[in-house]
Amino acid sequence: MNNKNNDSKNNIEVWEDLVNIKDLVISLIICSVTTMGAYFIAPKQPPKPLLFGLFGAILGFVICSIIIKPKRVFIETDKEN
Amino acid sequence: MDIVLILQMILAAVIAAVMYTIIGAAPGADETATIAPVTLVLVLSGVKPVIILAFFISAIVASKLIDAVPVSIAGIPAGVMSTPMVEHAMVLKKNGLTDTSIRKIASGAIIGTIVSVPVSLFLARALIPFSAVIKQYGDPVFFIGAILLALMSKNKWISLAAILPFALLIQGLRYLYWGIGVVPKGTNVFTSFFLAITIGPVILILFELLNKEKRDNMKRFDKKEIHLKKVEEIKKFPNPFKILTKKEVGYSALASLIGSVTFILSPVGLTTFLGELFSSRTKDPVEKASLAVATMEALAQATYFSGTLIPLVALGIPLSPMSIGPANPLFNAPPVFTLQHNMHHILTNSDFVWATVIGAAVAAAFTYFITVKYSRQICAFVFKRIPHEALLGLFFSLVLLLAFMDAGWINVAGVLLLGIVAGTLYRLGVNYGVLFMILYSAPWIIKTIAGQ
Repeated sequence: MNNKNNDSKNNIEVWEDLVNIKDLVISLIICSVTTMGAYFIAPKQPPKPLLFGLFGAILGFVICSIIIKPKRVFIETDKEN
Repeated sequence: MDIVLILQMILAAVIAAVMYTIIGAAPGADETATIAPVTLVLVLSGVKPVIILAFFISAIVASKLIDAVPVSIAGIPAGVMSTPMVEHAMVLKKNGLTDTSIRKIASGAIIGTIVSVPVSLFLARALIPFSAVIKQYGDPVFFIGAILLALMSKNKWISLAAILPFALLIQGLRYLYWGIGVVPKGTNVFTSFFLAITIGPVILILFELLNKEKRDNMKRFDKKEIHLKKVEEIKKFPNPFKILTKKEVGYSALASLIGSVTFILSPVGLTTFLGELFSSRTKDPVEKASLAVATMEALAQATYFSGTLIPLVALGIPLSPMSIGPANPLFNAPPVFTLQHNMHHILTNSDFVWATVIGAAVAAAFTYFITVKYSRQICAFVFKRIPHEALLGLFFSLVLLLAFMDAGWINVAGVLLLGIVAGTLYRLGVNYGVLFMILYSAPWIIKTIAGQ
């Protein structure tokens, strides 16, 4: 997306945590596609479409968790002071 | 109650405890956003009500109890309810008492659960005779509720001013759907509207991102630094009553009792008020902070139980901030549950007791153990492995799915519209409680204005 702004400050705050806009868009697309895709390929008798949709949502979540790095830096210190 | 059903309830409670021990540790994981959609899906897919209740109770206990970890270790609230505790937990952290903080909070949660489960069930039974009186007023109750919550909120005037326009938008969409025939006339689209309000602030930001000027002007951040201190391993299984001092046990129990009685008030407001009140007379900063976190946690658990159980057992209509938020699918999830036919009408008294006790006991035991024993590992796992983008993607896709199921593609646009408006109102200072109450009272408000 915005590659000329290539300094370290690339994240914005959404709902009390930091996200990268590009990663957020990717995540929204992946989760929406897996969710609705699973919903539409499900057998038509309820509640199967709903369960498939839910499974698709979780699948999307897992994929995103693997391909996207959290925007948090961990600093571990040995013992307090 | 047969043994197979009890085993199923225990299984559901275990699943909920494991799930919400992980989800609850993520920053910004609001209870309404994380628990309501999953409960909703369980209701809609036809799981037995008593099993859902055990799942739900376990979920709220686990997700509140695990708050102790991010709050104590990183000073990050994992939800709205833990925000008041951060300041005090930070005092303990500064004094090198991170592990004490975690244990005090977790023990406070246990006290809150032990006190508020029997008190809430007892109060609910005592209130049953009055339920007929309250229900007589039927629909206007929610309108009065919206006004009361607006008056009690920080931003009274904007909240009051929002009631009519927002009700108009909700009913406007419903009449439109009836008019073009995507849903049968008289069927109120509810579930997806409820979720649209929940995720409103996120939808608003997503739309803002589409505006280049807004996008370029947004405050940019580098990665979020989270400082984690290594704490000593806890060897034995700790007894919550030994972790807390006598004074802390007493104050936590008293706060839980008060929290159970005042189920209709805002949990966050109450937690802040009573927590500060009880700890204000203690001088020593460390003693004060640990008293405050234990009391606040106990109280938070108590308001969760009373806010869910009292309206559910006694009334069958959601008349507390808790029941109108996270617990809402137990009251209203059409077509399975409606205000005329929900858990209140289906479950017997012994069902309520069994489901509550099993759910609370399983989650308290499991999450308490995990929290005091593996707090560092959980925190590290969630913060390192779960990106916030994936959580937002998950919520967004669930809303999309339920919007489509409610009324087809047109409702996806409808939900976005509702989300933009709800998100704007939220940013202007109207809280979720008021917005949810408007959602419930909208049909009555519009009919009354039209003079029907």
